[in-house]
Amino acid sequence: MRPTPRAAALLRTFLAVLTAACFAAPAARAQLKLEITSGVTHPVPIAIVPFAEAPTDGTDVADVIQHDLVGSGRFTELARNRMPATPTNAADVKFQDWKAAGSDYVVVGQVTPTSGGQLALDFNLLNTLTGQSIARQRFVGTVASLRNAAHRASDVIYQAVTGIRGAFATRIAYVAIAGAGADERFQLVIADADGYNQHLILQSRFPLMSPSWSPDGQWLAYVSFESHLSAVYVQRVLTGQRTCVSMRAGINGAPAWSPDSKKLALTLSGDSGHPQIYILDLSTQHLTRLTDTPAINTEATWSPDGRSIYFTSDRAGEPQIYKIGTTPGSAPQRITFTDEYNAGPHLSADGKLMAMTTRDDSGSYRIAVQNLTNGDFRVLTHGRLDQSPSFAPNGASIIYAQRPGQGQAGILATISVDGLTGLSLKPTQGEVRDPAWGPFIQ
Amino acid sequence: MTSESVRDRWLSIGMSVLLHGSLVALLAIGWWHFRHPAPAPTPPIDATVVDARTLKGVGAASTPTPKLKPAPQTQPQQTVPPPAQPAVGPPPPTPDELAMRQQAAQQEAQHEAEAQKHLLARQQAEQEKQAREEQDAEAKKAAEAKAAAQAKKLAQATKLADAKKKAAAKLAEQKKLAEERKLVEAKKLAAQREAEAARQAEAERRARVADLQQSLREEEQASAASGALASWQSELESRIQQHWIRPPTAQQGIDCILNVSLVSGGDVTGVSLGQCNGDDAVRESIKNAVYAASPLPPPPNNIAYPHQLEIEFKPTN
Repeated sequence: MRPTPRAAALLRTFLAVLTAACFAAPAARAQLKLEITSGVTHPVPIAIVPFAEAPTDGTDVADVIQHDLVGSGRFTELARNRMPATPTNAADVKFQDWKAAGSDYVVVGQVTPTSGGQLALDFNLLNTLTGQSIARQRFVGTVASLRNAAHRASDVIYQAVTGIRGAFATRIAYVAIAGAGADERFQLVIADADGYNQHLILQSRFPLMSPSWSPDGQWLAYVSFESHLSAVYVQRVLTGQRTCVSMRAGINGAPAWSPDSKKLALTLSGDSGHPQIYILDLSTQHLTRLTDTPAINTEATWSPDGRSIYFTSDRAGEPQIYKIGTTPGSAPQRITFTDEYNAGPHLSADGKLMAMTTRDDSGSYRIAVQNLTNGDFRVLTHGRLDQSPSFAPNGASIIYAQRPGQGQAGILATISVDGLTGLSLKPTQGEVRDPAWGPFIQ
Repeated sequence: MTSESVRDRWLSIGMSVLLHGSLVALLAIGWWHFRHPAPAPTPPIDATVVDARTLKGVGAASTPTPKLKPAPQTQPQQTVPPPAQPAVGPPPPTPDELAMRQQAAQQEAQHEAEAQKHLLARQQAEQEKQAREEQDAEAKKAAEAKAAAQAKKLAQATKLADAKKKAAAKLAEQKKLAEERKLVEAKKLAAQREAEAARQAEAERRARVADLQQSLREEEQASAASGALASWQSELESRIQQHWIRPPTAQQGIDCILNVSLVSGGDVTGVSLGQCNGDDAVRESIKNAVYAASPLPPPPNNIAYPHQLEIEFKPTN
């Protein structure tokens, strides 16, 4: 049956009203749905309010925390002269004022003496947008450990905001060269991750090279020429106890700890003159040879699962990075194909990224990162001679050796894995090289 | 045709049959009298003959004739016969003559007796005739009266019939007029209906046009509203994205729902995290994104401000 014109008109009107209602209703009552598929990588604005501090050694806890956080590239600070107030307790924080000042977070705290003669550092991380406390913690220690307590506070704040464990309360090891000529001394130094709190654990008139942290943070392996020949030593960090684990004919170099801290990957040349990759079982001294090519194979580093070793080889003419299984007879596999020179690999703790020294078309040596999942290759630094990259244990930053200019002493610097934030460590006297970022401190 | 009109027709037919039947009956009676006169003396009957034509004329009833005058006016003409014999004188008598006259007188007496006899007979005959005529007249009168009565009756019947006919005619006329009026009314009604239908059709056409225009307007408005809504949604998403500082852990695969409460000014008054597979930093960051974006841009004028938003944070890279 055909509808009458009037019925059709009514039907149209009804449908029109229905259609209008369909459009109007969601906006009027129902939830409007949005989808956010991307964001920004801006640093998070944060205000570290000066702590109320008992008399200490002069350590400015808030400044240490701010330096850590801003140096990571993940935060941007609110300058103290722009702070609306200087509260030291959460109860005194007026969120609107801090929000108006542009800070998403505010950190307040105090350092107070304890009855045991120690110091207690209390801090509170507050979200000015939600008006909530995100994290609060107390660290107790000696005056000498106050700076470390501040780094630990930084770790907590960093993780609360970024989701990544902070690596500020970790240590680095590096080789420093002090003096010159007959007074030249090679030093093995351990310092806080920000370059402060340096401790000399070994000094030698002969070159020291390639320090490497054991995954448990108890040992350092390194190469020493103290016997006029290269030899590989392991040294307990706390006690200074050291042992030579390889002093074979030829080259003994580039030690790298296995994830279980029981083995070392070494570069040994033997009598052949061709450096090859070996695995040394520290408990049995048993050597397992992994490579056997008439080329240079060196700078081994372990995959997190301990099943593979990445190393540098010039078997193709120019140094490139290869991967080989840790079981004898495995076939090596080339990993890098970008640029003509890629060397000195180091893997992130999650095994997803590999840092290396790459030489670009201009002849400069720079730090690059390759994604081992998809092969993405990205140069992070812009120096003339950047080398020896080592991942922070959280994989967020890389420390490396930098020689700013011709004839200038080498320094240490960090770069965030996104390449956006670089930071030079506390200047040291003389030359520094071969940095190695230690593991998390348990 | 209604039952009343049928009944009227049958009544008219019945009256007509009755009238014509009466006429036929009168004609038959007249014819019968004309053909079978009452036995009477031969003398010419000085009487008024009523013939069929007269009756017919009566039947016509439109032009009455003198023949239908009342009988007493004609009665003297019938009762004065002319005395023919007394007017002639007798010659002088002789014996013979006297005899003869006697004889003649006897004869005459005889004759006179006879004549007297004849006269008596004639008188008797006349009396009889007169009686008969009177009787006839009476009969005639009666017949005439009867005829008149019949005529009257007929006239009455006719009149009645006429009246009825007239009534019927009038009724028919009225009926006709009524029908004509009805027809006129019907035509008028039809015209009115037609005009009404035309008006209604025009109104409907205009309504359709108006509806169509309204639909188009609404469609345009809906389209505009839809476009405006999409544009506003895009604006909201862009603003929130600009304020979402993605933590490193907010990688592809993260999918979090945040329900947001708003007030009309666009200020975010509350957030509630729904399903979310992100870590604490991701959860914190998406809340911050919405609060940092507050107040959210107002919607276009034709869109009501929603007081609830459901925002899905689903990074694609």
